[in-house]
Amino acid sequence: MTCEEARPLLLDLQRASLPPELEREVRLHLDTCAACARASAEEAVLTGLLERRLPRYPATGALKRRLAALVSGGAPVVPLAARRRSQRLVAPALVAAALVAITATLVERSSREVGALAALTSEAVNDHLRVLVRDRPVDLESGELHQVKPWFEGKLDFAPSVPSPVAPEMRLEGGAVGYFVDRKAAVLVYRLRRHVVTLLVFRADGLSGADANGVGNARSPLHRTLRGFDVFLWRSGELGYALVADVDPVELSGIAAKLAAETRSPALPGG
Amino acid sequence: MPQARDAHDPLEVASRALGYADALHNLARYLVRSEGEAEELVQETFVRALAAADQLERGANLKGWLFRILRNLFLSRVRHARHDPTEGGLDTTAAPDAPQAGEALRGDVELEAMRRIVGAEIEAALRALGEDARTAVLLDLEGFSEAEMATILGCAPGTVKSRLSRARAALRERLAEYARTERP
Repeated sequence: MTCEEARPLLLDLQRASLPPELEREVRLHLDTCAACARASAEEAVLTGLLERRLPRYPATGALKRRLAALVSGGAPVVPLAARRRSQRLVAPALVAAALVAITATLVERSSREVGALAALTSEAVNDHLRVLVRDRPVDLESGELHQVKPWFEGKLDFAPSVPSPVAPEMRLEGGAVGYFVDRKAAVLVYRLRRHVVTLLVFRADGLSGADANGVGNARSPLHRTLRGFDVFLWRSGELGYALVADVDPVELSGIAAKLAAETRSPALPGG
Repeated sequence: MPQARDAHDPLEVASRALGYADALHNLARYLVRSEGEAEELVQETFVRALAAADQLERGANLKGWLFRILRNLFLSRVRHARHDPTEGGLDTTAAPDAPQAGEALRGDVELEAMRRIVGAEIEAALRALGEDARTAVLLDLEGFSEAEMATILGCAPGTVKSRLSRARAALRERLAEYARTERP
């Protein structure tokens, strides 16, 4: 098989949609062709980014209710473009739409908050997965707090709290600079027995869903479960925290409470 | 009447269609620039679908059918907007030139940097693609087969494959650029 024949099949190979014989041929080619093997790795990275990190925009609760009303023959829908194009508005339709909008407001707000929290949880799990798959999960390998904390100086626009390990079998492995949603974050990696525990520290201001009412506070972190991982989210001062691991949730809950307690003194920006 | 026996019950179609509201809205949101336009596109898709529900044959791919309606509506609006100077806001981004594939990433460091790319950068890269390419990537993400995508897009399956391949190459190139220039 040549490179020209192999390249168009890399995505199919990734998706296991090739016939067995063809798949074997492609794999044989990849074993002997570094360029195609690299192209295959690029395809895999792109797929991972698209599937895990590309923002999705689900319909709002208000839109779903309008669609449901439409489907059930209830409230009529007034397209916005039609309103722009014509001033001949139908009063009953507007009244119905207004009623729907009014009754929907509270539920819509709730849906939005739930969506924002889900996005934060998903981001935390994705960041944790990134730590797990990296060859070097941390940029600075150190279990010493006095080395890890100053290492972030100049790399972040805030001074992250670096909590000490809070369980007998827990140790700090080091830190790295990562991203949380649209901003830089301190990635602190701990190990609890054979499990990796990731603590993400990030500026919470302006981050949808990251207010203390949404994610909990240092006295009461919010617990979420996603794709088999347990996530604890809390906010302390200007900073947000996300703790992720796949250890026993009761044990992780205790660890989250202790780590959160260590972050109660808000860090000052500008570190 | 054979047509009635072979066709879907409109009420059943309508209730099942609601299950695809999120996916339809997601595609709409990436086709147009504002939330209002996206919602309007989805609403109108439902209006058209309800009106034609009794024509949908049993066993037909409802999700694909809805996506096809939504995209055709979008294209029709783009065409309309081009002829109506008072209309604006629809995304008519021209398809970019296909980059040279294969040289997007040049080292493991860049692959690693690319893995760190955040959602906003991926979204920006996707939005920078032409509508055809963007839609192909989004339909592929929805899990449609090439044959289903061909039906939705109104082209041959072979065209879908090459269009998707070019779109992904363009995305890799743009994301690699982010990885090279925006990482510390």
